[in-house]
Amino acid sequence: MTAALRFTDVHKRYGRREVLAGISLELAPGGRLGLIGPAAVGKSVICKLACGLEAPDRGMIEVLANHVVGKRESELGALRRRIGMLFQNYALFDFLTVANNVAFPLEQRGGMTAEEIEAKVAERLRAVGLAGSEHKLTAELSGGMKKRVGIARATVADAEIVIYDEPTAGLDPVTTQKIYDLLAADQARTGATVLAVSSDVVALAQFVDEIAFLYRGRIIYRGDAKTIADAPDPIVRQFVRGELTGPLEAA
Amino acid sequence: MSAAIRALGAGAIRIAEEVGGIVVLTGQVLRALVPPRIDWRELVKNLHKMGNRSVPIVVLTAFFAGGLMTLQSGPFVKKLGATSLAGWAAGYAVLREIGPILIALMFSGRVGANNTAELATMTVTEQLDGLRALAIDPVRFLVVPRVIAMMIMLVALTVIGDLVALLGASVVGRALLEIDWSTMYFSFADNLKPYDFLHGIYKSVAFGGAIAMSSCYFGVTVRGGAVGVGKAVNAAVVAAAVSIMLLDFFITYLSG
Repeated sequence: MTAALRFTDVHKRYGRREVLAGISLELAPGGRLGLIGPAAVGKSVICKLACGLEAPDRGMIEVLANHVVGKRESELGALRRRIGMLFQNYALFDFLTVANNVAFPLEQRGGMTAEEIEAKVAERLRAVGLAGSEHKLTAELSGGMKKRVGIARATVADAEIVIYDEPTAGLDPVTTQKIYDLLAADQARTGATVLAVSSDVVALAQFVDEIAFLYRGRIIYRGDAKTIADAPDPIVRQFVRGELTGPLEAA
Repeated sequence: MSAAIRALGAGAIRIAEEVGGIVVLTGQVLRALVPPRIDWRELVKNLHKMGNRSVPIVVLTAFFAGGLMTLQSGPFVKKLGATSLAGWAAGYAVLREIGPILIALMFSGRVGANNTAELATMTVTEQLDGLRALAIDPVRFLVVPRVIAMMIMLVALTVIGDLVALLGASVVGRALLEIDWSTMYFSFADNLKPYDFLHGIYKSVAFGGAIAMSSCYFGVTVRGGAVGVGKAVNAAVVAAAVSIMLLDFFITYLSG
């Protein structure tokens, strides 16, 4: 079966720093993969590469059977409409209201009446617990609320691949659980392929099937999400358990 | 010595990169106009924001600029008994030079700087990436409406400013130099030619383009957070001011 998302020997460098040193990654259609790793290791870069927002220095990226590398912006448009993305820093449009932010992907895609869009937006905002905030500007929202608007926007168009970059960062544990329940329900309904980056490994492990660990530019571990705390790799184990001493500290 | 040469070279490379970047962005804007697919909602919003809200400051500046021209030339024309030329002296300078330049500099400081800050903030908060992720070209969606709005509004403000400046010249002539209204009116009507007015309008079109492209370029290419935004605004205002002076010189030189 063709992978929904495939990275083959992908390299990416920023100045002198090699962030990705030959990443190879495959995600089957409908699969849910969590991506974890220490801060500034390149997790968000992988998300952006998958969307074609950044270009790799070397390697191949295939998304929904489309090659992403070397394509012009205008050629990536059709593919991007099939991807939903939640940015780490929300990337909400501050010139639009909450409702208009969520409606934006639907309006740009076309094919829906204003009433249908309004109903869909209302349903999404209810789902993320933001009913009643439709007319607020994003500047009036707290960080957690912005994150939830971002989730509503990423999921409103029922994309085939959804990429969540830190979907629950800054949220309290109860809201975090609610958000993951929502994401799981959405994924079950649409059958979308999910790539989720998160530092909250425990909550992430409840949502995804597998977790990959990114370290020093490479995926050093990939395995069942439920057993990640007992991973054979001591670096992964230390990271997931949050232990202060171990090979991560030595590194 | 070698450090000075290195710094000079680095400065030259940076300027070449910036000029090249502005040219590339201009090409992208022109390409986005063929066929013209403009976001009308964005355009109207920008026309209002950039134009309407600039009128008070332009009116104030133009009124006193026109008055100043009469104040400077008035005593001489009175001394020489050539009060019939007072309006011409003020009008000629205002329509061809002072009006377009002064209003463009005001516009750059108010609208251009604001535009750079807005786009730069959107860039550093990943809003431009957000648009791209939704398959929307940020140049077509954000830059094109702003460029069109700035060019249209600077011309409109220059026309308003010209008229107000002539009024200011007349008011100051009457109030401080006792040059009556009819003398000023006929001085304008008999001596100023339509080309004097058009000359200023050509310039304002070019100045509008320069302010728009430099403010958008520095906005969408910003790096870093709040510090980067500040630097981008600074660079955009300086680039616009230099462009205005250079364009003014060459347009005046080439068109006479």
